[in-house]
Amino acid sequence: MQTPIATTRSATGIPTGRLAIWWVVASEIVIFGGLLLSYVMHRIGHPEWAIAQAHTHTFVGAFNTFVLLTASFTAVKGHEAAEKGDGKKAAKFLYLTMGGACLFILVKSLEWTSEILEGYTIQANGFWAFYYTAAGLHALHVIAGAIVIFFVARDAAKGRNLQRVEYVGIYWHFVDIIWIFLFPLLYIAK
Amino acid sequence: MSEQDRDTHQHHPDYWKIYVALVILLAISVVGTFSGILWITFIMAFGVALVKATLVAENFMHLKWEKVIAKWVLGIALILMVLFFAGVSPDIMKDRGLQWVNNADLAATARGIPDEEEPEKGAPASAPDSTKAAAATQTAAAAPAAAPFSPETTFKTVCAACHGPEGEGNGPGAAALNPKPANFTDPAFWTDKTDSVLEKAIRQGGASVGKSSAMPAWGSILTEAQAKQMVAYLHTLKGK
Repeated sequence: MQTPIATTRSATGIPTGRLAIWWVVASEIVIFGGLLLSYVMHRIGHPEWAIAQAHTHTFVGAFNTFVLLTASFTAVKGHEAAEKGDGKKAAKFLYLTMGGACLFILVKSLEWTSEILEGYTIQANGFWAFYYTAAGLHALHVIAGAIVIFFVARDAAKGRNLQRVEYVGIYWHFVDIIWIFLFPLLYIAK
Repeated sequence: MSEQDRDTHQHHPDYWKIYVALVILLAISVVGTFSGILWITFIMAFGVALVKATLVAENFMHLKWEKVIAKWVLGIALILMVLFFAGVSPDIMKDRGLQWVNNADLAATARGIPDEEEPEKGAPASAPDSTKAAAATQTAAAAPAAAPFSPETTFKTVCAACHGPEGEGNGPGAAALNPKPANFTDPAFWTDKTDSVLEKAIRQGGASVGKSSAMPAWGSILTEAQAKQMVAYLHTLKGK
């Protein structure tokens, strides 16, 4: 079996591919951190946003949190299987994660549809502007994750590039962590 | 899988246990909202979020077993975020400082709080009182006092920042403003303004009567009756 450069060349003691993912995560911390902290500042400065925020659906948000936590669990089980060299099992777990991503997006679409039909559009006020921007950027990451996971899983099923199962997992867990903070910010701290 | 990767990376805790813990924590954060007590909700929501994020980062992302340099990479990004918040938040979280007033912000707050006469749609019959009470609490920082309404106290605590304690248009905030705030002691000010125009300017802001938008809309903290009393007070400043 060929040994990929991504796992053998390393100056830091971390395989190059994994180090690259850590840098991706660091840049994502700045992207989401800037957006979420801007929301926190404005939310504190605007007590009246509580009136708009009262309309978000706590249980829909909680269900989607559960979906993402479950998808993270299957992603890390896939990583475990990949390290044992079982590409087929890893692929199965990754497909489950992909299913979780699709379910998350489906629920989010229904949620947004009902909110937009009630007149709470991105232009309704500052709260809804942040709501759609933050959750929307996060949803784009979920979609991107699902696409990448599909290609990694297809490879893994053939026993190829198993190290990527872990790398895509690290990204996916980060997307999960972002939602772990978005959920209380948008749905609970009313 | 290379030998090196295998050697550095063979830690697999019981993921099922961690997953169950995460789901229980999620349930706790939702249950917190039923308490109806703000600080319990906040601690349960954000405290739990921190614990959940740590569990995921340490065990699922394997940060617990990762080389320290990866933690530095992430840590520096987080420190940058703290710097960002510390530097920017004072200007965003407040609507006025010693030398400035954010009128757009104040106006947005005023627009966002429902008027007493139009309670929120679908609210129960008792809502107007509670909405009003909530609005009063939320604007407590801007309102002079919960005690009986006094036009003079209101003027000295709210208006004087720009219009000056004697209404001469020379308050501490005036320096930064152009055009300058109105001077109520100047007879010229009173030549072309009716009481209803002044009431409108007070409740809906200067821009609503074609004057400077630097005059905020105070409709969220002053009722129409109170605005009338304010105008009556302004008359007493005339020619002082």
